[in-house]
Amino acid sequence: MGIGGVALTWLLQREGLLAKPVKPEFAAHDLLPKRPPHEPRAKAMISLFMQGGPSQMDLCDPKPMLDEWAGRDIPVKLKYDDAAGASAQVLPSSWKFNRHGQSGMDFSELLPGFGEIADELCLIRSMHTGVNNHGQSIHALNSGRTVSGRPSLGSWLTYGLGTESQNLPAYLVLRDPASLPVEGTWNWSAGWLPGLYQGTVVRAREPRILNLEAPANLRGGGQRNYLDFLGNLNRKHSASHPGELDLEARIASFELAARMQTSASDAMDISGENAATKKLYGIDEDATKEYGTRCLIARRLVERGVRFVHVLTGNQFWDHHHGIKGSLPKACKKTDRPIAGLVKDLKRLGLLDSTVVHWGGEMGRLPVVQNTRNAGRDHNTYGFSMWLAGGGFKAGHIHGETDEWGHRSVRDKVNHYDYHATLLQLFGLDHNHLKYKRGGRVQSLIDGQPARVVEELLA
Amino acid sequence: MGLLFNSGQAATVTFEADVRPILKAHCFHCHGEDGSAKGGLDVRLRKLLLKGGKHGPAIVPGQAEKSLFYTKIRDGEMPKEQAKLPAAQIETLRRWIEQGAETARPEPDSPDEWITEEERRFWAFQPIKNPPVPSGTANPIDAFLLRRLNADGLGFSPKAGKRTLIRRATFDLTGLPPTPEEIAKFLADETPQAYDQLIDRLLASPNYGERWGRHWLDVAGYADSEGYTESDAERGWAWRYRDYVVRALNDDMPWDRFIREQLAGDEMVPPPYTGLNPEQVDKLTATGFLRMAPDGTGSGANTAAAQNQVMTETLKIVSTSLMGMTVGCAQCHDHRYDPILQSDYYKLRAVFEPALDPANWRMPQSRQISLFTEADRKQCADIEVEAKKLDAKRQAKVDFFIERTLEWKLRKAPEELREPLRVAYKTPTGKRTDEHKVLLDNHPSVRQISPGSLYLYDREFNDEIAKLNAERKKLTDNKDADNAEALKKLDGQIQYFRDSLTKVVLDAMAKKAADVRATKPEEPFIRALTEQAGKVPVTHLFFRGDHGQPKAAVKPADLSVVALNKNPIPENDGRRPSTGRRLALAKRLTDGTHPLTGRVLVNRFWLHHFGRGLVDTPGDFGKLGEKPSHPELLDWLASDFMKNGWRLKRLHRLIMTSQAYRQTSRRLAKLDELDPDNRLLGRMSVRRLEAETLRDSILFVSGQWNPRMFGKPVSVKEDEVGQIVVGVSTNDSSNRPTGKTISLGAEENRRSLYVEVRRSKVLSFVDAFDAPSMEPNCTKRTISTVAPQALMLMNNNFVISESRSMAGRLQHFAKGSLDTQLGLAWETTLGQAPSAGELAQSAAFVEKQTALFKTQKEKQPDLAALANYCQALLSSNAFIYVD
Repeated sequence: MGIGGVALTWLLQREGLLAKPVKPEFAAHDLLPKRPPHEPRAKAMISLFMQGGPSQMDLCDPKPMLDEWAGRDIPVKLKYDDAAGASAQVLPSSWKFNRHGQSGMDFSELLPGFGEIADELCLIRSMHTGVNNHGQSIHALNSGRTVSGRPSLGSWLTYGLGTESQNLPAYLVLRDPASLPVEGTWNWSAGWLPGLYQGTVVRAREPRILNLEAPANLRGGGQRNYLDFLGNLNRKHSASHPGELDLEARIASFELAARMQTSASDAMDISGENAATKKLYGIDEDATKEYGTRCLIARRLVERGVRFVHVLTGNQFWDHHHGIKGSLPKACKKTDRPIAGLVKDLKRLGLLDSTVVHWGGEMGRLPVVQNTRNAGRDHNTYGFSMWLAGGGFKAGHIHGETDEWGHRSVRDKVNHYDYHATLLQLFGLDHNHLKYKRGGRVQSLIDGQPARVVEELLA
Repeated sequence: MGLLFNSGQAATVTFEADVRPILKAHCFHCHGEDGSAKGGLDVRLRKLLLKGGKHGPAIVPGQAEKSLFYTKIRDGEMPKEQAKLPAAQIETLRRWIEQGAETARPEPDSPDEWITEEERRFWAFQPIKNPPVPSGTANPIDAFLLRRLNADGLGFSPKAGKRTLIRRATFDLTGLPPTPEEIAKFLADETPQAYDQLIDRLLASPNYGERWGRHWLDVAGYADSEGYTESDAERGWAWRYRDYVVRALNDDMPWDRFIREQLAGDEMVPPPYTGLNPEQVDKLTATGFLRMAPDGTGSGANTAAAQNQVMTETLKIVSTSLMGMTVGCAQCHDHRYDPILQSDYYKLRAVFEPALDPANWRMPQSRQISLFTEADRKQCADIEVEAKKLDAKRQAKVDFFIERTLEWKLRKAPEELREPLRVAYKTPTGKRTDEHKVLLDNHPSVRQISPGSLYLYDREFNDEIAKLNAERKKLTDNKDADNAEALKKLDGQIQYFRDSLTKVVLDAMAKKAADVRATKPEEPFIRALTEQAGKVPVTHLFFRGDHGQPKAAVKPADLSVVALNKNPIPENDGRRPSTGRRLALAKRLTDGTHPLTGRVLVNRFWLHHFGRGLVDTPGDFGKLGEKPSHPELLDWLASDFMKNGWRLKRLHRLIMTSQAYRQTSRRLAKLDELDPDNRLLGRMSVRRLEAETLRDSILFVSGQWNPRMFGKPVSVKEDEVGQIVVGVSTNDSSNRPTGKTISLGAEENRRSLYVEVRRSKVLSFVDAFDAPSMEPNCTKRTISTVAPQALMLMNNNFVISESRSMAGRLQHFAKGSLDTQLGLAWETTLGQAPSAGELAQSAAFVEKQTALFKTQKEKQPDLAALANYCQALLSSNAFIYVD
């Protein structure tokens, strides 16, 4: 089974009375909440995935050296992805940096919102995957290895922990209306884990969740009529089959399905949120409305017990090979305020302690000019930044360091597998023990890589 | 359960019957097996217990309290780091010692490879008997069943109505519902032969082979992909095996032949496998059975572990499908519960090792047998010559572009560096000096020019073209001036850059060559299992199942507990080019005296008719499996099946014309009280449609069904949310949807049997309804009832669109008459005629929905309402279940 599963098979056997006893010869999988081996710090996660690779030296990892060497050839060897526009010419940041909060965390002027939440964040400046392509690095960060077809992080967490939500998918994906990130549907794949651990996508248009919303013409009263008529048919059929419990169970399953539909649309409906909350997420402003709405929905889902919410940006949203001066501010504008709003809101509601918020892309960028005519920056997976907040991560903390050019991690390097081991630890899971047996092999997220729980990141 | 099986404990406790099974399951691993005797203690024989270990004798006969063996277990100190044994087992041990620690008979000298009399006496290993049929009824099946029912004061339920019978029989034999015409004909036929003729007609339907072929493909673990790794590579030619199975069933091929061909068809055809006649092609295709296991070596993991896994999974498929034994447990140690020795596992492995030889491993591609003729090859070679010419032309163009791009980039560099850069670039990488390297590192865009990166430089040429075009426009806008000269110069420059645009030109040239190659006839293959001439590997037992630790060599054989001298398995049959090992095993399994094969097969056939096997664990006839509910019936069926030519269609007739099969499915209080699981068959069981049957039936009643049989599978793809649907993926190389669609014609409406079985991409609709995952096979399907299935029926696009097609068809056939449309829909889906009341309710529903759709400005409110009505029928229990 792979990405195959059914986008909504998250509820299997929740309903104890419906489930038939399963014989031990069949491995039964379900999404019932499971107690992890250790006491968990985190219960849910919202991953704000910045696909394309935000430029760390322009956002959160200031490098004065770049100003000194502006325009000159960099004296270190770099690995480029895009050959034609490659140059060795140092490109300083165009934006001013400021220190924020008590922690004095640096963010550039493009991220005023991040400045306001600096004291909640655990900023890692020494991320490393070491594979220079988007696809491979996405897989490394999201599924542990650089190849496609493996289960994503959300699938592992729901496999290990089940979900707390009664009537909602365990793992939801809030995609960007414009496009999917690189690697498309693989971003929420269950790989070879059973299909019920696959992410369920919330689409930009109706039906927002396939199979979980009525077809257009049946929305509202139409489907109710259908269910009533079907109920009549089934009750009559049951009357001629006394004692046939499975028939009763199926009737109940339709009622439960209808309730699940209501829960899902309720979770997605933000009309009941007050103006101040909407403002907090930037829903009052055109540039931030769409992304802010998704951040707010993410909060509503976590509030209702959803285990993992993946909030995606569109295709190559942060991949600024050229024209970074115009495109980076735009990308920041769209996301900065909603994200700050989300962290503040979770904190206000007391949810931040148990919810990990993750911000980051699959890579960072190089310190040199790419495309002299309209400068941008090329890929860099040897040293880049991302941050985590809540769920047991240190607040107001900076971890690791890149070299003076912002190119390579030189202190306290964090590999993708170290990050995964650390995350699992906070969820009460042990990366050595979260395993899945398949085809005679024991599989895991870490897959034998030399992972280490980065204790220095933990509060 | 108590009603059926009483397992009272015998008064005298013996080592063999009572004690050893407990020790085998819990203690042998540390105290006896593989030379491991912790504390010096081996517990595999009474005499060894008496001898004891470093703490002295383990037992003192007659005195349990003085027996360390007992007290350690009683106090939970043993087995170490495992759960304490159940109280009943501890009590058995106590009683055994107290009674004097008896054995049933003298013990063997060595505890190794010992199968006790008690183990041999287990029902499944006994010869298949041909028990006398109880008198009183014409059909022997009924006689056996009735005898058991009568014993509890029960009998059969009344005969089901004709509508129920035709629906039951049609689903059972074809996996599709009966049409209203078929129902009408059956109802009208009041002759005594009507029912028999119905069965004959269904058995003659080509859809019979599809339905029963699917059952066999479950146990064979049929898949169109290799599995094991993430890439899950596709298998181009597995489908020929699927078609072989369907044809064999439709032709009523005797099952002894069917099994022999699947296990050893290749040994019946002389190598080299060229110039094959159709019969030989079939025999080789049949061995696809042994090529169904996941094969990571064709999916990017040609490792020793993956190779070993192919063997392991193949043995699992063979043993569960034909022997009803979980031999896999004996891979690491003697089976904990069944008398299957570890050496048995490797002897069985030895049967297959000449074909799955780790020392001479072949990846799936190189195992295939080509069906190409010499003429085909010649034609391909001629086409390849033409294509190579085009390749050469393209290469020349690549060289030209590299030169152009280099010169262009050099123009951007300071003049004094141009020549040194040119020299550095043209120096082969290995011969570059440090000076060259530094120079190139500072000019990465020169360094990086390569055939693969050329396209990246097009952007700059495009920028130049845009710039020049702007200049040109300025000139042409100025109508007064004489710009001819200047324009000519500009046009020349534009042309220069246009000629430098690499991607379009090179792609077109590559496509030309590809187009020529595409005219080659496709080389057809058979996915077969064969041996390699002259290579006879030695099979070793692996210490604790680790393929890295081979131990003693073993010879090929069937399981010791069922082995007879009949049809022994040769090491290397001198009369044939192959070793003859698989052929001998196949003969042994089908010689009519093998205790397992006949029982396992008829049990499986029974399961597909009644929803439950006489043995409820069809893949495990061992001690952990269920015992047969009707052992004599099972034996009689197996014996009758084998005696009468292993013909399945004959058995279908026998089963389906029984009174048992023709009963109603209605539960009765008295029956339910005594036999809630209906193991005694005092009635028929209500069964849910299996996943594929549900999908096929929806297509069938909607009128969209494409009945085309056989051939390459219909492809599957991920839709935008990752659901697996039928279709051709148009995602780009980064798996993003491109929005393009490729029409499949009517291929998407073929039966599920013909939809690609990609292990990593199970069709979401059938997945929701419990389609099995092939890892590596499925011996019994689960049936679940969960809300996602309801959501599928309520909202899934497949159901919605099929309902709409069905409505359109009804409107077409019964124009203007809503009642006819409603009645026809009802009967087509449910097999019943609606009552006047049901019809009135249906009409009221449709009218209500029509009115609603009108207010919603729906374009065809009538059609939409009728479609929703059809959807309700398709979602209803009366459709999804069979009485």
